[in-house]
Amino acid sequence: MRGVLGAFRELDAAVSAIEALKQKNVGMIRVYTPTPRHELEEAIAAPPSPVRRYTLIGGLLGVTFGYWIAIWTSDYWPLVVGGKPIASWVPYTIFGFEVMVLIGGLSTVAGLLISARVPRLTMQVGYDPRFSHGDYGIWVECPPEQARTAEDVLRQHGAVEVRRER
Amino acid sequence: MATVTRPAPSRDEPRRPNIATAGVQLPAVRDYEQVDREISGTLRPTLFWFIGLGVAVFFLIIGISAWMYQIYSGLGVAGYNPPVMWGVYIITFVFWIGIGHAGTLISAILYLFRAGFRTTIYRCAEAMTVFAVMTAALFPILHLGRPWKFFWLIPYPNWRYIWPQFKSPLVWDVFAILTYFTISSTFLFIGLIPDIAVLRDREKISPIRKTVYTMLSLGWRNTDNEWRHFARAYLFLAAFSTPLVLSVHSVVSFDFAMALTPGWHTTIFPPYFVAGAIFSGMGMVFTIIIPLRKWFGLKHYVTINHLDAAAKLALFTSLLVGCAYMNEWFVAWFSGNEAEKSFFANRIWGQWWWASAILYTCNMMLPLSLFVQKLRRSAAWLFIISFTINIGMWFERFVIVVPSLSHEFEPWQWTSYRPTWVDYAILAGSFGWFSMWFMLFIKQLPVIAIAEVKEIVPPRLRTTHPHGIDPAGRHFEFEPDTPGEFA
Repeated sequence: MRGVLGAFRELDAAVSAIEALKQKNVGMIRVYTPTPRHELEEAIAAPPSPVRRYTLIGGLLGVTFGYWIAIWTSDYWPLVVGGKPIASWVPYTIFGFEVMVLIGGLSTVAGLLISARVPRLTMQVGYDPRFSHGDYGIWVECPPEQARTAEDVLRQHGAVEVRRER
Repeated sequence: MATVTRPAPSRDEPRRPNIATAGVQLPAVRDYEQVDREISGTLRPTLFWFIGLGVAVFFLIIGISAWMYQIYSGLGVAGYNPPVMWGVYIITFVFWIGIGHAGTLISAILYLFRAGFRTTIYRCAEAMTVFAVMTAALFPILHLGRPWKFFWLIPYPNWRYIWPQFKSPLVWDVFAILTYFTISSTFLFIGLIPDIAVLRDREKISPIRKTVYTMLSLGWRNTDNEWRHFARAYLFLAAFSTPLVLSVHSVVSFDFAMALTPGWHTTIFPPYFVAGAIFSGMGMVFTIIIPLRKWFGLKHYVTINHLDAAAKLALFTSLLVGCAYMNEWFVAWFSGNEAEKSFFANRIWGQWWWASAILYTCNMMLPLSLFVQKLRRSAAWLFIISFTINIGMWFERFVIVVPSLSHEFEPWQWTSYRPTWVDYAILAGSFGWFSMWFMLFIKQLPVIAIAEVKEIVPPRLRTTHPHGIDPAGRHFEFEPDTPGEFA
C-alpha cells in the first residue's frame, strides 16, 4: 500500500482538501480526525454504517432465546402452581427483554469491531500520533504517477506536512 | 483500508449544518492540545491519592473480615430477627443498584436527548455505574447462608436437569443485573477506546503503559471509517441502555411488589424505585465529581453551569420521589385496608418514626433548597446536599424493607430489628470496595471523555466563518458540536 499523507492544523483546510481531491479523483481517501465532525462526514459522503444490521439481528436472536429458554425449561420440568400456566408469557417477557438487550448490545459491539476492522495489531502506513491529538490527516492511496498531483493538492489547501509513505 | 466514497457534493448544495450546538460551553478551553494535556495530566498519582486508596482498602479489609466471620459463624451474626429476614444486606443491595442508575441516565439517556451538560460528567458517572453494580452484586451473595452456591440461580444444564424457577423475581434479578453490568461495562469501554488511543500516542516514558494502552485501544487510529461505525454503535448502545436502566430497577422493585406484605404490594413501586434510583445516583455523582474537579484542577471543564443543570435533574427526581411518598400515604388511607393503614401509621408515627423522619427530611425537604439558583450554583452546598441524599436514600430502602417485615398482618409477629456490628462492617466494606475501584480507575484512565470534550471545543480554522444561526434556525458549520449529533 503506497500513497501520500497530508497533515492539517485546521478543520476547514482539511475539508477543502478532501473536496479538491475528490474532484480530481486522485485515489482512495482516508481521513484522520481527533473527534467526529459533521463537516468531514459531509465532505467524505460515506454510506451509512452497517452496524444497525448487527443490532437488529442480535436483538431478534436475543428476544427469541430469552423467551425460549424460559418456556422450554418450564415445560421440561413442569411445576403446576395454583393451576396457573406452566409457561407464562407475562413474567417471561422480562427474560425476552433482558436477553434482547444483552445479545443486541453485544452484537452491536461485534458490528463495530468488524466494520471498523479493529482490533488491529499494527498502525499500518499513513498514521501519525498527532491525529489523535489535534491535527487532521488525509491519506491518499494512489500509484506513484499520481502522487505528485495529490501532494500539490494537499499543499495548496494548507497541509503543514506532506509525505509519501509505503 | 481507505474509504470508498460517493462524489463530493457541489459547493452550491447546502451541507448539513449542526442541528443543536450548545455554543461555546467551555470558554477556558482553547484547543484540542489543551484538552489532551490537562485531562491526561490527571493520571499522575499524588500523595492524596495513595492516602485515599489506603483508606478505601482499609474499609474493604474490615468488610472482608466481617464476612469471613459470618461464614464461619453463620448468618445469625447478621442481626436477622424473624420475620425480619431481609436487613442491611438487601437494603444496601438496592442502594448500590440505585446509585448506578444515574450513571446510565447521564451517559445514555442524556446522550439521546443531546444534553450538553452531560459531556464532562458522564465518564465519571459511567464508571460509578459499573463499580456500583459490582458492589451491589456482592450483597445477594453475602445474604446467602451458603454463598458458594450462588451459581444455582444461573440457568445452566446440570446433571439433575433442574432449572431455576423462571417465575421467581430473584431469577429476574439475576438476568437484569447481569445484563445491566455487561452492557454498562461495554458502554464504558467502547467510549474509552478513542481516549485510550490518545493516551497511547502521548505515552513516551513507560513501555509497559504504552503496551497496555496499545492493547486496550485495539489499534484505534481515528479514521473517518472508525468514527462512522463508532458513532452508530454508540448510539445503539445508548438506545439499548435507556430502556434497560428503567427495567433494572423495576425488576428490583418486583422483589418487593410481588409479595403480599403491607407496604410492598403496590403497582407504584417500579416508577417509584426508578425515580429514587436516579435521585440517589445524582447524589453520588455530586459526591464524586465535586472533589474531583477541585483536586484535579478541572473546574473549567466541569463548570458551575454543568453542576447547575445536574442539580435541576436532582431536584426534579426529588419531587418525583416526594410524589411517590405522598401517593403511598394516600393509597394506604384510601384503600380502607386495615393492615395497610396500620403499617403506615407504624412507619410514620410508630416504632420507625425516626427512620421515616430522616428519609423525608433528606429526600423531600432539603432538596427543595435547589429551587434557589444561588444554592444550585454553589459547589459546597451541592456537596453537602449530596451526602444528605445518600443518607436519605439508604434510609428510604431501610424504611421499605424493615418496617414492612416487622409489621405484617399478624400482630403476634410484630417485632423489631437491630443491625449488628457485622452488618455495619460489611456496609463500610462495600464503600471501601466501591472507592477502591474508583480510585484505581481515576489514575489509570481519563475521568473526563477526551474525544467528546473536543467535540464541544471550537475547532481550529484557517479562515473566519460566519458565527450564529441561519434563517432556518440552524447553526452554521464549523461551530462547536454536541456529542451525539454525528450519529
